[in-house]
Amino acid sequence: MNIKLLIIGILLSVTALFGQVNKAIEMPYVEYPIEAGDHDEVVQQYCLTCHSFGYVLNQGKKSRPYWTGTVAKMVNEFKASISKEDQQVIINYLVKHYGFESTSGH
Amino acid sequence: MDKFSRRNFLGAGLILGASTLFAKEAVKPIVAETKEFVPPMIAFPEKKPLKTISDRPPLLESSSDIFTKEITPNDEFFVRWHMPDIPTYIDLSTFRLEVKGSVANALSLSLDDLKSKFEPVEITSVLQCGGNSRKFYAGAGPATHGVQWGHGAMGCAVWKGVRLKDILNMAGVNATAKYVGVNGLEKPAMDETPHFFREMGIDEALTDELIVAYAMNGEDIPYLNGFPLKLIIPGHFSDSWVKMLSEITVMDEYRKTFFMDVAYTVPDNDCECVVSGSDFEYKRKPIARMNVKSVIGYPASNSVIKKGSRVKVSGVAFDQGKGIREVMISLDGGKRWSATELQKDYGKYAYRLWSFSWEPKIKGEYTIMVRAINRIGNIQPLPNEIGWNAGGYQYNAVDSVNVKIV
Repeated sequence: MNIKLLIIGILLSVTALFGQVNKAIEMPYVEYPIEAGDHDEVVQQYCLTCHSFGYVLNQGKKSRPYWTGTVAKMVNEFKASISKEDQQVIINYLVKHYGFESTSGH
Repeated sequence: MDKFSRRNFLGAGLILGASTLFAKEAVKPIVAETKEFVPPMIAFPEKKPLKTISDRPPLLESSSDIFTKEITPNDEFFVRWHMPDIPTYIDLSTFRLEVKGSVANALSLSLDDLKSKFEPVEITSVLQCGGNSRKFYAGAGPATHGVQWGHGAMGCAVWKGVRLKDILNMAGVNATAKYVGVNGLEKPAMDETPHFFREMGIDEALTDELIVAYAMNGEDIPYLNGFPLKLIIPGHFSDSWVKMLSEITVMDEYRKTFFMDVAYTVPDNDCECVVSGSDFEYKRKPIARMNVKSVIGYPASNSVIKKGSRVKVSGVAFDQGKGIREVMISLDGGKRWSATELQKDYGKYAYRLWSFSWEPKIKGEYTIMVRAINRIGNIQPLPNEIGWNAGGYQYNAVDSVNVKIV
């Protein structure tokens, strides 16, 4: 995997910045590496609405039942509006790039 | 070791009993190919570079060397939000903490009101994410759900603020009140997504120790740790330590919510773990009180140390507020154990620093392990004994580091 981290935005130096700031803080934007192909654009469209790709990368490789359950959680609990068809596209993508085939287990 | 075994036999037996059952009946762990992603180190506002698990919502993990200090510096303190929409500016002239619901007088308090109209109180307490250390569950069973935190989703700080009880008493809680709900200013990306809303029983809310804090280690609370107000619940995991606290709602009825009833829950049994089958078949209970735990701050894992060096092995230990009785250390992978020296006591909810002087005389590979016992005899389980839960919550097995003496 050719990981190239592109960190965009000004990374604020840690000079005397206290909570009580008189202007807005500037949050760094991190572009996490995302494997291309297999409709990654669908994955990005839905998943990145609520959270960074770091949530995917930092879970380790997970099974098909795991990713199926996770996508179901996003739809049922967090109310992500994803068609059945697109849910399957996302699950297949996650299993292929960030998981493994298995019918049972976590 | 003899004394250690006898004294804690009962407590350890309880844990062992539960975990043995698990080991026998649980599904075989699936060992997957793990190409572990290494999160970048990035400095967020008011923070030193921290391991950036996610930037949105921000999840920032501290490195293990913070466990050589009893107080975690604000700029190295971990960060964990639930929602992507966090205000980037708070105007204190308009910011108010609303106290409402089943009360005689609803309140709308400014930060100045809190600082001037209430008695200030201070408490030193550990703040630990419920999923802290969850990646170590993968060593004993199937990897758990959620992002794989190391030990760095915890810290200890001196919190200053006002008692939640005093605020509730000023509002005048109705006799019918049974619960208190709390939430802050973070918001989901879509309206339909459940908001981060936490609840507790009215009795718990009225105890002396819960604090609405406005200061952390003598400074304003860092923005990413919840400026300007954060709820402090000493001895409890951090799920209800709401950041940017903006609303306190006194309620006659419990409100069912995702973040109370689904997230941050474990099986409602004695071991709070999966004995057989799937975690989700169990009745749930929210995680609450922290269990006894110790971690090694120095040396770091895979350190290379010269033979004859004087090594001050050190780290921190804590529990839910019963107090640490003893921290044992093993330099041979758990065969023999010795006592470490406990350092100054900063209070029952604080980190207790421990240290051990070691002068390794023989070259080779060593596994250093530490194991804490609290004053009621709770002892940390070994990694292969810990009861497993799918959420990866409450991990507190014995910590270890490998070092090489050359």
